[in-house]
Amino acid sequence: MALGLEEGGWCTCSVKMSTLGRFEMKLPHERWDKGLTYDAYKAGMTRNRERVEENERRVTLDPETVRAFRALPQRLNVLVLAEDWCGDVIANLPVLGRLAREAGTLDIRIFYRDQNDDLIEHWLNQGKYKSIPVVVFFDQQLNEIAHWIERPASVTELRARKRREIYASRPEFGSPDAPVDQLPEDVRAALQAELAKMRDETTPFANAEVQRELRELVTGAKV
Amino acid sequence: MTAKPVKVKITYCAECGYEPQTLDLAKALMYEFGGRLSGIELIPWDSGTFDVTVDGELVHSMRREGGFPESEAVKQAVRSRLSASGTVT
Repeated sequence: MALGLEEGGWCTCSVKMSTLGRFEMKLPHERWDKGLTYDAYKAGMTRNRERVEENERRVTLDPETVRAFRALPQRLNVLVLAEDWCGDVIANLPVLGRLAREAGTLDIRIFYRDQNDDLIEHWLNQGKYKSIPVVVFFDQQLNEIAHWIERPASVTELRARKRREIYASRPEFGSPDAPVDQLPEDVRAALQAELAKMRDETTPFANAEVQRELRELVTGAKV
Repeated sequence: MTAKPVKVKITYCAECGYEPQTLDLAKALMYEFGGRLSGIELIPWDSGTFDVTVDGELVHSMRREGGFPESEAVKQAVRSRLSASGTVT
């Protein structure tokens, strides 16, 4: 089912209703060609490149996920919407980058979200938030197969629970809902360090969950 | 009567790239109030935070109000604080 959006100049992409009842995109090749390869994106980063590369080194690839992507019946095109300041992009894009390199079946093109509003409008988180990264899998004809947004819910839930535990363990941290600027500077610094440590310690889980979700998404779709 | 200078703190989500909004607000306050501020503290944080306090009073919270504050609303909160302590703004 065509929505006719392409005639309205909203974007240079056509949209159809899939058999699953979702609206999926067909991206024109000329638009696809404007995306940056993973290496070109990294080369153009104005900040946080060292964090991305450190995260790349830290990713432990899951053998089952690598096998699943290697066994794909066709190469997939993977569109990513990103910005180099975003924590979830810094954390999760390197997982995809390593997976693509290892599997050899994924061609990545990265688009800056804030320069491609028509694209992000198509994959809004919960229909309203411009969350990134957005990872969209396309077949060779650039028909959308599946998409993934921001981070796994399991990671959000785990970190929220750990965060509550940190606050509960140190009464001087106060309430998680209170503005942190009210804390004495030394207490705030201690809290900041605890939260950073927690994020670091939960990174292996997060990386594994990203791989599991991407694998299940792609293997569950009709490729 | 001279008022006690006002302290503004802006806690922003650094992971979310809120630096431009933080700097815009800080700049607006600097130009408007100059030496009537005792300081503007910028606190990098996480979790989608954008909180503004004026002398310890929370005048804007992204979690509470949603979105970023209008700089005029924060300026008004600073003016009120200065007025309360005796200065004519």
